[in-house]
Amino acid sequence: MEALGYFFTTWADPYLLFLTAAGTFAGIYIGAIPGLSVTMAVSILISFTFKWQVNEALALISGIYLGGVYGGSRSAILLNIPGAPSAIATGLDGYPLAKLGEAGTAIGLTTVVSVFGGFVGILALAIAAPAVSGLALMFAPRDYLMLAIWGILLVGSLSGGSLAKGIFSGALGVLIGMVGLDPMTAEPRFTFGSLQLTAGISYVAAMIGFFGVAEVLMQLHELKLKAIKQNVSKILPSWGLLKKYLPLSLRTSGIGVVVGALPGAGGDIAALMAYDHAKRTVKNPSRPFGEGAYEGLVAPESANNAAVGGAYIPMLTLGIPGDAVTAVIIGAMYIHGLKPGPMLMIETPHLFWFTVGSLTLANCFLLVFGLSGIKLFAKIVETPKPILLPVILVLSAVGAYAINNNPVDVYWMLAFGVFGYFLKMYGFQVGPVILGMILGPMMDKSYRQAMISAEGNVGQFMGEFFTSPLSAIILAALVLTMASQTAWWKKLRGLT
Amino acid sequence: MPTPPRQRQPGELVFTLLLLLGSLTMLWQAYGISKFESITSAGMFPMLATLTMVVTALVFLRHTLRATRAPAVGSGSAETLAQQFVRQLTPPVVVGFTASIAAYMLALEPLGFVVSSYLFMVVGMRLLGSPRWLLNLAVSAVCLAAIYLVFQTAFSVVLPKGTWLQALLAAAPGGAK
Repeated sequence: MEALGYFFTTWADPYLLFLTAAGTFAGIYIGAIPGLSVTMAVSILISFTFKWQVNEALALISGIYLGGVYGGSRSAILLNIPGAPSAIATGLDGYPLAKLGEAGTAIGLTTVVSVFGGFVGILALAIAAPAVSGLALMFAPRDYLMLAIWGILLVGSLSGGSLAKGIFSGALGVLIGMVGLDPMTAEPRFTFGSLQLTAGISYVAAMIGFFGVAEVLMQLHELKLKAIKQNVSKILPSWGLLKKYLPLSLRTSGIGVVVGALPGAGGDIAALMAYDHAKRTVKNPSRPFGEGAYEGLVAPESANNAAVGGAYIPMLTLGIPGDAVTAVIIGAMYIHGLKPGPMLMIETPHLFWFTVGSLTLANCFLLVFGLSGIKLFAKIVETPKPILLPVILVLSAVGAYAINNNPVDVYWMLAFGVFGYFLKMYGFQVGPVILGMILGPMMDKSYRQAMISAEGNVGQFMGEFFTSPLSAIILAALVLTMASQTAWWKKLRGLT
Repeated sequence: MPTPPRQRQPGELVFTLLLLLGSLTMLWQAYGISKFESITSAGMFPMLATLTMVVTALVFLRHTLRATRAPAVGSGSAETLAQQFVRQLTPPVVVGFTASIAAYMLALEPLGFVVSSYLFMVVGMRLLGSPRWLLNLAVSAVCLAAIYLVFQTAFSVVLPKGTWLQALLAAAPGGAK
């Protein structure tokens, strides 16, 4: 009963209701405009919302996240440019459908299955998180250390990059996260004698640099891409069409939840896996896959929105982000004095149910905004990049400046932006850098706690990874992730 | 059939070497924190992190060395590595826009948020190929007004007012104190 009260907090407070609606609306447009990502938006937003009440910030962020994941599909269908990585699979059949004059139906169907997937993800979050949280209480510091390493590895490797580059990026993030005074002994680390650096480097500035500035610089290579304009007519899908695709939507939502809940694997991987599942299991698609099959829209769009609820599970229960956006949300929670993890669920259950309530509300708004204003929307997503990119830059600068009202954070943002640009150009992922920055201090603390509990004995420390069943399982998952990226493993799979 | 060797991007080898050099410097810095004083000292985890960076940097240095150099493009005169680097990684638009961002950031404090942002947006739009000055001026004004109103009022962000501008206003007869 108490949980129900917390659940409806957002629904009952007009201001929170407005923030959730505004967040969802903004998220849809941010996600849809190529060049603007949800991670970028949330990163910039954090610097503005840290003075707000935590409920207000969480309501806005929930809306932006859910709306943004969905919004990416719009530009994938209309322009064949995925607005977000999670919409890459959507464009494969969405754009051919638009070319066949069915853009309206494609958007309508996408909206409904996205909302359906979103509800499945939220339901999974409400059911699974309390159970996972109970299990997480059994975790020892060494388990947290390994979970953090696993999360960084997954972000680096599952998103298609080289394992060595993924590990390097994660370690680099850990290093940046440790700049400043050691929290236990107050010894300066990597400060180079600078007083400024003893306070550490703001990860919000780094996030805006890596996700905002670097992305803008990358977009400069595609300035001349012209969008083909589409006619958008009938939007509401027929009941018969929805009924036909509901079982597929349910199955792929399940895939979305599971993949989204894996630390490091987000909506983009969930969508691609769901698309692959649909391709393998649907015997008679409406049209061949890749030529405008409705199944090719239903599967990834159900999965990527279901992955949102899934990604919140490790974030809230273990403090391990499910994807880059949840990594940024963890940063927001730290700024508000919250520590995501099992104790969050026990000490502040209202925040958990509040988050579930906000996500549910945002999902309802998604249905309303998703099915309306599409003609205006089609115009906005065609905003030329020469106009859009300088505006993003100004927003990024305001975001970085707002952290401490200090221009130094703006310089850090630019430095990380340029560095991030070169990292991206040479095939490095920047997600693990941010994950490393956020998780680095926790990893350092967990390592030292685990080592102290092993009385400083390296042999005992290592042995505990095998003697504790929980540690052994996480270690096995970690080793498997690393092994699956080696040439030896790939060769073995190719032979069998 | 054996897979053909990967092609190396222009500047990749130098970038990889710089990352390795940076990682080694950081490893040395991490060692300097508390040397091998204790296994739980403040420097131990930084050493592990930087050692990981060094090892992985060596791994992708090996991969980079194994990769073949990108072939020269264009007929007749072959493109040098530096030309390839400029074309692929630092084309004039990237360099110019980055320089304008740097100038904008340096101008934020002395000129203030409103003036510097407006100038940056107008110049930035032109630089990126938006040809109509009037449109750029109008769009920049509208966007700036929206950003200023939202962030100054709704988000209570204190934006830089501009030290030069303030000094100018103070110096003007009857100006702000």
